[in-house]
Amino acid sequence: MDADVLLRVTALTKRYPGVTALDGLTLDVPRGRIGLVGANGAGKSTMFRLLLGLTQPTEGHIQVCGVDVAADPIEVRSRLGYMPEHDCLPLDQTAADVVSTFGELSGLPRRAARQRASDILDLVGLDEARFRPIGGFSTGMRQRTKLAQALVGDPELVLLDEPTAGLDPLGREEMLALVARLGTFGISVMMATHLLDDVQQVCDHVVMIDAGRLVVAGETASLLDRTGVVTVDVGLRHHDLIAGLASAGVDATVVNGAVEATIEGDQQLDLVRDVVADLGLPLFRLTTRLTSLDEVFLRSAGGPE
Amino acid sequence: MSAAAESPGVRRGAVYDRSYRPYDGPRGRRAAATAALYRASIRRALGLRRSWRQKAAPFVLLAVVSVPAVVNVGIGYITRERRLPIEIITYRDYVGVSSALLLFVALVAPDVMCPDRRQRVLPLMFSRPLVGNDYVAAKVGSITTILFAFSFLPQLVLFVGNMLVSDSAFDYFAGHLDVLWQVPASVALLAVYYAVIGCAVASLTDRRIVAGASVIGLFLVTSIASAVIVDNGADRGPSPGSPGALVNVLRLPLYLRDLVFLGHVDATSPLGGVDHGGMYAVGLYVIVLGLGLGVLWRRYRWVER
Repeated sequence: MDADVLLRVTALTKRYPGVTALDGLTLDVPRGRIGLVGANGAGKSTMFRLLLGLTQPTEGHIQVCGVDVAADPIEVRSRLGYMPEHDCLPLDQTAADVVSTFGELSGLPRRAARQRASDILDLVGLDEARFRPIGGFSTGMRQRTKLAQALVGDPELVLLDEPTAGLDPLGREEMLALVARLGTFGISVMMATHLLDDVQQVCDHVVMIDAGRLVVAGETASLLDRTGVVTVDVGLRHHDLIAGLASAGVDATVVNGAVEATIEGDQQLDLVRDVVADLGLPLFRLTTRLTSLDEVFLRSAGGPE
Repeated sequence: MSAAAESPGVRRGAVYDRSYRPYDGPRGRRAAATAALYRASIRRALGLRRSWRQKAAPFVLLAVVSVPAVVNVGIGYITRERRLPIEIITYRDYVGVSSALLLFVALVAPDVMCPDRRQRVLPLMFSRPLVGNDYVAAKVGSITTILFAFSFLPQLVLFVGNMLVSDSAFDYFAGHLDVLWQVPASVALLAVYYAVIGCAVASLTDRRIVAGASVIGLFLVTSIASAVIVDNGADRGPSPGSPGALVNVLRLPLYLRDLVFLGHVDATSPLGGVDHGGMYAVGLYVIVLGLGLGVLWRRYRWVER
């Protein structure tokens, strides 16, 4: 198996009585931050259970970090961290105790587990709350504790099931920032979510599944096309810009507090810049808008594979 | 940089980004994870690292089961000059006192088993290098250890106390060598038995109160049923005992205790006088243990439910 391939799935099928959760999935996933995207019931959580060896595939094979899951699930689990979507923490224990215990369960010696628990809780921003019972934690703090227990064993790959579920906007941004940082620590991340914005924000590779079938997989950047629309942020003077662009023959409207202009080719991009300069407007942002992953998903899931 | 910072002899502060440090030390596998879970379960059962309320029950119970030993040794000390042959309780009887630890099992086995299922901690545990049998071994092992310790410690107090208040400590020791294996053996049989039954019953529900009541109920119902059967049988024949005494699962380990101490079932016990009563007791003991372990094995084969 190629050293860069983190995950190799071959003809993977999982059937439960009356339902096929995964249907003939075949893909190679490189190391890095991977988004596993699909609607609720698409098979994301089943995929995680199969990766952890907690359930057996009906057909097919999985290799994680070069290890066959069916042949040696224990070895695979010793290389993985797992953060489930649902509540899963003992509420009457402190975060330090829980994370330290899970460190020991990951095979770390007791002293090392306590030290790492302290470090990891510090990393996820729970250093001051680590001696408080988890029952008194907010949703965001519980999510961070779940992430900490997944990281304490120093995994090669961490599986995050809906890590931003139930978080407020600030908590969501902080969680995504943490996930993005994991890549810089040499930890690969597979993040299952139905929130495509989250994936677009932090993942460099995307696997989209729908009803247990592979929809599309590839680098995030390669899936996003230029749309021919540029976003121009000139502060509050949108209408001056729209009028200026209209006189130059460019259609523009206000979307989410910024001006979006439809252009044809780079020459018109220069034209937009010149209009802004001629009007003496402050230019805060000038970007080409890409297709969103939502559009990619809808286009791919709706059409033939 | 300030002048103070540049002055010789003045320590300059520094900010370190602790960031993430990979773990490159030794790492255990199944045995280490099982041992970690065993330790965590013992801590939980004894209420360590928990509030004082959780600590109260186990240590109050230990104090209660130690009372006969302390009283016996105290009276021996007070009457040591009068050479009175006062023996309030024998080592064999004391194993019967330990059956009061059933209360402890009804309290602790559900507390150790049920929250893992109710708070959905099992997926986190089984995402570690751990399988169902390891989990069962750790849980049953932890309760067995505590039951053994709580049964053995009072006997140790009794033995050492009797030795010290006797005319000759060496003579007492030499005259009671049999006790040195009989007590640990019979106490171990009792501890394993209660631990397996307690854990098996607790594994069938995720509610502690239901599990605790079920453990007590199981022993009460079988005790009453056995008493009714034995009483009816007593009217029909000369033998004081009846095979119906075996229905009392609470008393079953005490017949094995008799075998360890006496080599046969005590003639005054409800099983006394029954042909091959000891053999039946051993057989039923093994069957009950097997059933309990079978229930546990089946409950923790998979973590999906």
